[in-house]
Amino acid sequence: MKYEHILETNELNLYYGESQALKKVSIQVPDRKVTALIGPSGCGKSTLIRCFNRMNDLVNGCRIEGKVRYHGQDIYAPGADPVEIRRMIGMVFQKPNPFPKSIFENVAYGPRVHGINDRKKLDGIVEKSLRDAALWDEVKDRLHESAMGLSGGQQQRLCIARTLAVEPEVILMDEPCSALDPIATSKIEVLIDELKKNYCVVIVTHNMQQASRVSDYTGFMYLGELIEFGETSQIFEHPSLELTENYITGRFG
Amino acid sequence: MDGNAAAGAKGTGASVPSNREILRVKESLFKSIWFLCAIFAVVTIFFILVFLFWDGYPIFVQVGVWDFITGLSWNPTGNPPAYGIFPLIVGTVLVTLGAMAISIPLGIGSALYISELAPARVKAAVKPAVELLAGIPSVVFGFFGLIVLTDWIRVTFDVPSGECWLAGSILLGIMALPTIISVSEDAISSVPREFREGSLAVGANHWQTIARVIVPGALSGITAAIILGMGRALGETMAVLMVTGNAAIIPSPIWNVLSPIRTLTGTLGIEMGEVAIGSMHFHALFGVAVVLLVITLAVNLIATAILGRIRERQMPTKERKKNFLSCALERSGWMGGIRNATPWIGAVILTGLMFLFSGAGAAVLTFGLTGGVVTARTRLTSRVVEKIAFALIAISIVIVLVVLGIILWDIISKGIGYISWDFLTQPPRDLGRAGGIFPALVGTLYLVIGAIAIALPLGMGAAIYLTEYTREGKITKIIRTGADLLNGTPSIVFGLFGFAFLVLYLNFGVSLIAGQITLALMVLPTIIRTTEEALKTVPHSIREGSLALGATKWQTIRRVVIPPAMPGVITGAILSIGRAAGETAPILFTAVVFSQRFLPDSLFEPVMALPYHLYILATNVPGAQGNQYATALVLLMLVIAIYSVAIIVRHHYQKTIAW
Repeated sequence: MKYEHILETNELNLYYGESQALKKVSIQVPDRKVTALIGPSGCGKSTLIRCFNRMNDLVNGCRIEGKVRYHGQDIYAPGADPVEIRRMIGMVFQKPNPFPKSIFENVAYGPRVHGINDRKKLDGIVEKSLRDAALWDEVKDRLHESAMGLSGGQQQRLCIARTLAVEPEVILMDEPCSALDPIATSKIEVLIDELKKNYCVVIVTHNMQQASRVSDYTGFMYLGELIEFGETSQIFEHPSLELTENYITGRFG
Repeated sequence: MDGNAAAGAKGTGASVPSNREILRVKESLFKSIWFLCAIFAVVTIFFILVFLFWDGYPIFVQVGVWDFITGLSWNPTGNPPAYGIFPLIVGTVLVTLGAMAISIPLGIGSALYISELAPARVKAAVKPAVELLAGIPSVVFGFFGLIVLTDWIRVTFDVPSGECWLAGSILLGIMALPTIISVSEDAISSVPREFREGSLAVGANHWQTIARVIVPGALSGITAAIILGMGRALGETMAVLMVTGNAAIIPSPIWNVLSPIRTLTGTLGIEMGEVAIGSMHFHALFGVAVVLLVITLAVNLIATAILGRIRERQMPTKERKKNFLSCALERSGWMGGIRNATPWIGAVILTGLMFLFSGAGAAVLTFGLTGGVVTARTRLTSRVVEKIAFALIAISIVIVLVVLGIILWDIISKGIGYISWDFLTQPPRDLGRAGGIFPALVGTLYLVIGAIAIALPLGMGAAIYLTEYTREGKITKIIRTGADLLNGTPSIVFGLFGFAFLVLYLNFGVSLIAGQITLALMVLPTIIRTTEEALKTVPHSIREGSLALGATKWQTIRRVVIPPAMPGVITGAILSIGRAAGETAPILFTAVVFSQRFLPDSLFEPVMALPYHLYILATNVPGAQGNQYATALVLLMLVIAIYSVAIIVRHHYQKTIAW
């Protein structure tokens, strides 16, 4: 394809113990665009994006074959450091998972971990991240209250702010709206649209309307395979495969 | 990574390459430290076994294993000496069985009351009361037994001495209650709500639901509770030693509950202090310890296995491995048989209980009554059955609370008058009959602080390794089994190990440091367990959130996992402090002396300690009644205060963090 890609997999196989969760997946993820992964439950969407920042390392009995490249470098190479990779490739999870700390400390956590302790610098980073995550106005007066007191949607935007604070290049989102109500969802979708100016965003979603609304590119996965990948308009309007069309039109899944 | 260097322009600019190297070294350094901590538990249990066997070996060679265990006479100082521990084994078994006859019905009844019947407000009061019962040091139980219980038995049954099997069993039964109540209550409360609702929805009343759905559902947990309580009773030293009379004879006839009796633990407690080191008698005592350890380890392993199986069953695994035994049991309908027999077993136990308390006439009456209830059950309406059952449950909790009240009242009312500022700040005079307990108070504090300073870092490290760094596998299983075994080891065995290894082999002498290390070993498993539980309550998603930001494993653990787990860790540590402060057996031969007017100058000097002081005052110093009660009260208050802090910490933080 003609676009500039930042992440790519090549014939990627992944096994959880005996069962194979990904089958020869080859995908090229474009930079500064939103890429959506859709497909029925258990098709391997989440598994795939968790390969991009090696979160699957934490799963018992998970084994990988093939290459995952970030800027052309194999992130599963023996010398590669998963910690460094995760700093560049951030992740937002299905359920908001703020730390049991204050709002400020949640956002400052990443920079602190990476060695920034200067209070002024941290203040700046926290404010900018919260603004970028469209949360600043709602929380600026209670930065030092516990993050556990925020609503679900606010918590999720806090988690996005937390991710932005370490200035990654790529933001992976694993069904970020599945635990949220429609209003919170639309806020996140607007935010995603903003984020793609500066970041490469990969989003896994169950919701096809959401995929068509927010993404530039869409990949359809089924039973561990990447069935079709292309520009979102093309996938939704003229899918080249019948399987894709059946799914998109709601005939199964 | 080179790719990042190109992309690094966008990074925070915080991570300099050399910084990353340091982080990496730090990571592996911490991982190996925690691993060493975890391995320590395993090495320790291995060490304890080796040392006991090492010192017990000569007696097994000289007398022979079989003759040692089945020999009918224990007379190590006779001429010729006799080393047969059969009477001791019989004594241990009998006293434990008697204790179980008391604590099983009372314990299960109380557990049912707390988890099923108690209104929330009553429950909030009763649970701490049961925990309070668990907090009373065994030497205080022994003291109460010696002064009050044996006297009551002597008068009631008109016998020359009340120090007997019955006294030991009652005391041990009370002491095993908290374990049985709390473990059964956990098991009962963890029966899924849906079961209960399902049963009520088909029109079963509350008692029917309890008897047919909840208790069967919690049966293995209740079984484990009973076995754990049994382990507690088997391993208890001080209380038993003080009230059973310690005659190494088999009761005649065998059911004579008023006969004096001697247990394995009691033998160690009495004779270890006076034996010539290196003599055959010395080795024989280690032989006794080996036998005791084997029995308690077996009992505790069974309980652990049962609890492990419950945990496995609660996990939604696809292929649930059933072991051969349980398959066979289910097929033969044996379990079903037991379940049908439960009312009858209950009747027998209740009868036994009545027999113990009020003689044969009442026993016949009770048996007739309960038997009548069982046979008439089909004829009685379910509402009447429910009423009777609930009445029995209520009676059991009332008995437990009354017993607790009597013990506390006796000690507080008789001790309070003797407590004064001088008592707390003066050294003892006239063998403790006069003067105060200052050196003992300070000695206990030294012992406890040292023990926790050793055990807390080690235990936390081991727990961090187990929960954060390993995946469940062989290694974790070995380490966990090691910790479980350490947990089930009787405290007197720790004392013996400390004596053989620290005092004699390492030549520390009877010293503060030997006592601190011995106590540390004893509380280590508790600390590992509670820390592990605390770490596990921190949700996995939090760890992922931190790792996804590029934090390293250790950064994640230190900054987001440990802080919310800290209240749990602290609670565990405080509970351990309380336990260490009240224990006598581990320091009996390792750290303490009775009369020392001064505080120790170094770690290698012996100290006084409150529990030991009370033990000696109660057993060896006639005419010190006032100071006995005062010492008991101070010890009790100290331990209760420590436990209360733990309960408050736990309660406070339970409210603040809700995941």
